Amino acid sequence: MAEMRVGDTVERLDVERAWLVDPVAGREGPGEISVRGGRLESVSWLKGAAAKGVGPEGVLVLPGLLDIHVHLREPGNEDAETIATGLAAAAHGGFTSVAAMPNTTPAADDPAVFARVRAAAESSGSPVELLLHGAVTAGRAGERLAALGELADAGAVGFSDDGAPVKTPVLMRNALLYLGAIGLPVFEHAEDLGLTANAEGHEGVVSAILGLKGWPVAGEEAAVARDLALLAGVLPDAPGARLHVTHVSTAPALELVRRAKAAGLPVTCDVTPHHLAFTDEWLAGARRWSWEAVAGDGTVRDPWADRALVGRPFDTATKVNPPLRSADHAAAVLAALLDGTADAVATDHAPHTDVDKHVEFGIAANGISGVETALSVLLAAVAAGKLPLLRAVKALTTGPASVLGARPGRRGAPRGLVVGAAADLVVVDAGATWTVTAETLASRGKNSPLLGRELPGRVLLTVADGRLAYRDGES
Amino acid sequence: MIAAPAPGATWQHRHVLDVDVFSAADIDLVMRTADEMKEILARPIPKVPALRGTSVTIIFWEASTRTRVSFEVAAKNLSADVVNIAAGTSSVVKGESLVDTIRTVEALGADMIVMRHSVSGAPYLAAEVFGGPVLNGGDGWHGHPTQALLDLYTMRARLGDVAGRKVVILGDILHSRVARSNIWTLTAMGADLWLCGPTTLLRGFDAWATRWADGRAAPGHGRFTVTSDIDAALRDAEVVMALRLQRERMDAGLLPSLREYSARFGLTRERLAAARPDALVMHPGPMNEGVEIAADVAVLDRSVILDQVANGVAVRMALLYLLSGGHPEGMSGG
Ligand SMILES: [Zn+2]
Repeated sequence: MAEMRVGDTVERLDVERAWLVDPVAGREGPGEISVRGGRLESVSWLKGAAAKGVGPEGVLVLPGLLDIHVHLREPGNEDAETIATGLAAAAHGGFTSVAAMPNTTPAADDPAVFARVRAAAESSGSPVELLLHGAVTAGRAGERLAALGELADAGAVGFSDDGAPVKTPVLMRNALLYLGAIGLPVFEHAEDLGLTANAEGHEGVVSAILGLKGWPVAGEEAAVARDLALLAGVLPDAPGARLHVTHVSTAPALELVRRAKAAGLPVTCDVTPHHLAFTDEWLAGARRWSWEAVAGDGTVRDPWADRALVGRPFDTATKVNPPLRSADHAAAVLAALLDGTADAVATDHAPHTDVDKHVEFGIAANGISGVETALSVLLAAVAAGKLPLLRAVKALTTGPASVLGARPGRRGAPRGLVVGAAADLVVVDAGATWTVTAETLASRGKNSPLLGRELPGRVLLTVADGRLAYRDGES
Repeated sequence: MIAAPAPGATWQHRHVLDVDVFSAADIDLVMRTADEMKEILARPIPKVPALRGTSVTIIFWEASTRTRVSFEVAAKNLSADVVNIAAGTSSVVKGESLVDTIRTVEALGADMIVMRHSVSGAPYLAAEVFGGPVLNGGDGWHGHPTQALLDLYTMRARLGDVAGRKVVILGDILHSRVARSNIWTLTAMGADLWLCGPTTLLRGFDAWATRWADGRAAPGHGRFTVTSDIDAALRDAEVVMALRLQRERMDAGLLPSLREYSARFGLTRERLAAARPDALVMHPGPMNEGVEIAADVAVLDRSVILDQVANGVAVRMALLYLLSGGHPEGMSGG
């Protein structure tokens, strides 16, 4: 493989004595795979003596990961990310498919923008699949519907005004109705803007201490309640309507989704790695994982008293929308992932330049560059015993695929270790670490609060559609 | 020209960004150093050469003549070269970035920066970029460490140790960097601190006071007390500090009217009667007389508002001196 380059067909690959995870079959265990001519030629599960010494803390073979929420910034802000650097970053993170949000400049509210980004993906040479969301409203302005049908015809996998909610309820209702007939979901960024004007951080103890304008939990809960009411209201006329709530960050909003699912409403949701593993105390300079910030009785610990403030306060890499929440909400995010309320983990990868981030906290852009650290963050949760490995893998593969539903993508929905199909997989060493630095991140967005941190889960190889997407330089 | 720290000097802080990182011993050191500065201020020529050759650049992105002048006088009393830059609030949003401004100031020879900014946390960014010490003269709602230290100095000058004494901060706590910094210093020194105001202007503080169990606080008994009951707050108080109320709070829908605010939360003689007879009256200024504080209260004998202004210079001198590497004994005979 030494002479292989990104985009080349993987003619021959053998991974021996690794821990295989097949989320479609719901199976994991010791095994081996071989790839020949870009096809997954064999998957064999080892037993007895042959399996001895192979465990989930070593080399893992997973299906290629799917991220249904990334921002690739092209067109309009290529200093922050391009399609090419975004796809390279995705491959480094183990993702073989990503769905880009339409909040570019211009917004993807018209098929012409789709054509432009698809051409950029083609010329990048990356085998990572680029899926596209269209805007719900023209210019994401919340006033008129975007070219929904034309965008659907051009291959949109979902629709979103992400960066902001669909501003007016009546437009949301009409979008759910209209797209119900087409069978595509609205991806909603749930935020009641009336409650969050100029917000800088999660409204709670940390924002009280730091003097930051609060983003209240009710701002998400109210928005999700609005959308669920609208969804229920359109179903008689549009039984195919589907709502997907993205980056849900609070316990009450997750509870609303849980109950709506139990009542049979066609709603799905995703959570981000940062809302699962980071907390608002990171704004004050803490860097411990969310599960380390909770006491045995479930109460949130005091990072000042714990002397847990290791970094400088007001690091704008921790500024994101919705904001990093307190550890009790992070625990609710984890619980929602465990019980299936959250269908998927999506990164909300939001690269930014220093021009937008190396400024005062209150005026800094929102967002975390996260597509390269997501798998490592989930593996940290797995290593801590907070998340079963199979659940983590499902949340990055079959879960997001089910959110998108049947689609005409070149690889279809199931994402297992499918013998005979084009190889689409990631080889990651759960026992090896890597350090997050401006140099190790392939993304142009260096805005990660994990900068300088050593993380578990080093991606050794990513193969997408039978072709090389990423290979670790030292493996 | 800056003296090296003497062996045994305990000042460990490169910057003064907020008081949350200060131990009680740090605070004591500031108080002791400020005592030395008070002695210097009492001399016919209140000037020492401690910071001779040191360039102190004062950058205020938010207008405040009082605080700026206090820092300027403090730095000049220590013989520093003072450069004043009025950055103006508009440049926060557009124009030269804070990082560029700090780099420019450093290239022009600044050894220390004193700054005020309307965005919470801005001094931390400046401190990351700048090679020398940064002294926070107030940032957003977040912190005003020199104010909290001069408030403490003023209380100690009149009352001695504040431990166990009931101190009430009254008014718009939510938007107050003065209140936030005072919470750290007063709880560190063991005062019985009460915060009082309308509930819309106290949001989040009860959780701060009580929620985190850290061994110091039993359930329901926080590190400080938060209440909207002004009578309970003022009862037997030994210090009452009123905060400025801004008209924007009505526009933001946080309060019905100034009239209603002053009727319910204004510090009047009648209300003050519930406090100890010798209770100190404080205000960080500038005052809205007749709103948060009655005119006849501000001029009472026990009003120490002008002491606060005078002590502000001594405390700021102390902090500039400590940041420059000095130690308190070094000033003796200065
Ligand atoms: Zn969003």
